[in-house]
Amino acid sequence: MKSFITNLGRNVGHVVGILYQAGRESIDQVIKNILPFMAFIALVIGIILYTGIGDWIANLIAPLAGSLVGMLIISVICGLPFLSPLLGPGAVIAQVVGTLLGSTLIASGSIPARYALPALFAINPQVGCDFIPVGLALGEAEPETVEIGVPAVLLSRMITGPIAVVLAYVASFGLYPGN
Amino acid sequence: MNTLVWLAEHFIGMFQQGGEVFTSLVTGIVPLLIVLLTGVNALVAFIGTERIEGLGRWAARDGLIFYPIRYLIFPILSVFFLTNPMCYTMARFLPEKYKPAFYDAAVSYVHPPLGIFPHVNPGELFVWLGIATGIETLGLSVVPLAVRYLLIGMVVIFIRGVVTERITAVMWARETAKATPALA
Repeated sequence: MKSFITNLGRNVGHVVGILYQAGRESIDQVIKNILPFMAFIALVIGIILYTGIGDWIANLIAPLAGSLVGMLIISVICGLPFLSPLLGPGAVIAQVVGTLLGSTLIASGSIPARYALPALFAINPQVGCDFIPVGLALGEAEPETVEIGVPAVLLSRMITGPIAVVLAYVASFGLYPGN
Repeated sequence: MNTLVWLAEHFIGMFQQGGEVFTSLVTGIVPLLIVLLTGVNALVAFIGTERIEGLGRWAARDGLIFYPIRYLIFPILSVFFLTNPMCYTMARFLPEKYKPAFYDAAVSYVHPPLGIFPHVNPGELFVWLGIATGIETLGLSVVPLAVRYLLIGMVVIFIRGVVTERITAVMWARETAKATPALA
């Protein structure tokens, strides 16, 4: 009986410890990663909305983001092997372009809401292209693997970037009917 | 003088607008994020990351049936449990020839689940949230978009894994041929 109570106490302590640690981690993530980027995005959106640059940008990118061909062009450009490693770091480009698209074209309804799905892939064929050597090193890859792996992934993105956009475009039928 | 006041008013106005956006982001999304992150962090701690390591040894095998394990199930579970960037360490269970393709599949899955599982990459949340905010402004639910993003992401990473594995194999063969000139 005594050992049962001891065990119970220990297990409850263990569970509570994990939950508390999880809470601590999530607060850490919010303060360190999420809030700083929100501040940055809020500044960008604030300027865009207040100055009306948003309408100007929207007019400029509407022909690109408003059709399948346009989104394919965006994905091909972002996936170019000499551009993709430059566009990759911190996904800042994808995040800013996504916010621009979301807060202007999609929010105003100037492009159909369902285009949000292919757009998510069109702005992001460069994901992780800046990080290939480090990512492979984390997987304990040999130097020769890194030497071949970097161009292999970059080349692959030229093919799979546009494929992703087409797939997402097809999958977006029936999403948000009437908008 | 009037010009100066006009300038100052609009200067401040710009940041006031930004402040409103910030408030709406913090009150609208952050509370949900904190609770959700806590829940998933606890779940991951309870299950334990060492369990997927066994899957890695399984995913290393040759053969057509192991493709979906190597470039679909293994990267998805690695991203879910280890998150960006620790998920890439799981490549250590694979032979060298599969490592670039696994990296490609895993890194391509750090954004598609963000609408439902933001814990995988909270620092890059706005890849998803930027576009999702537009949908919200229209008064629509973002959940259908989040679900489709997550599912299409799965198809895309599988294709990426297979394509990159092929390209790696071709480049590897070419490199080896160059290193050992034909004895003619």
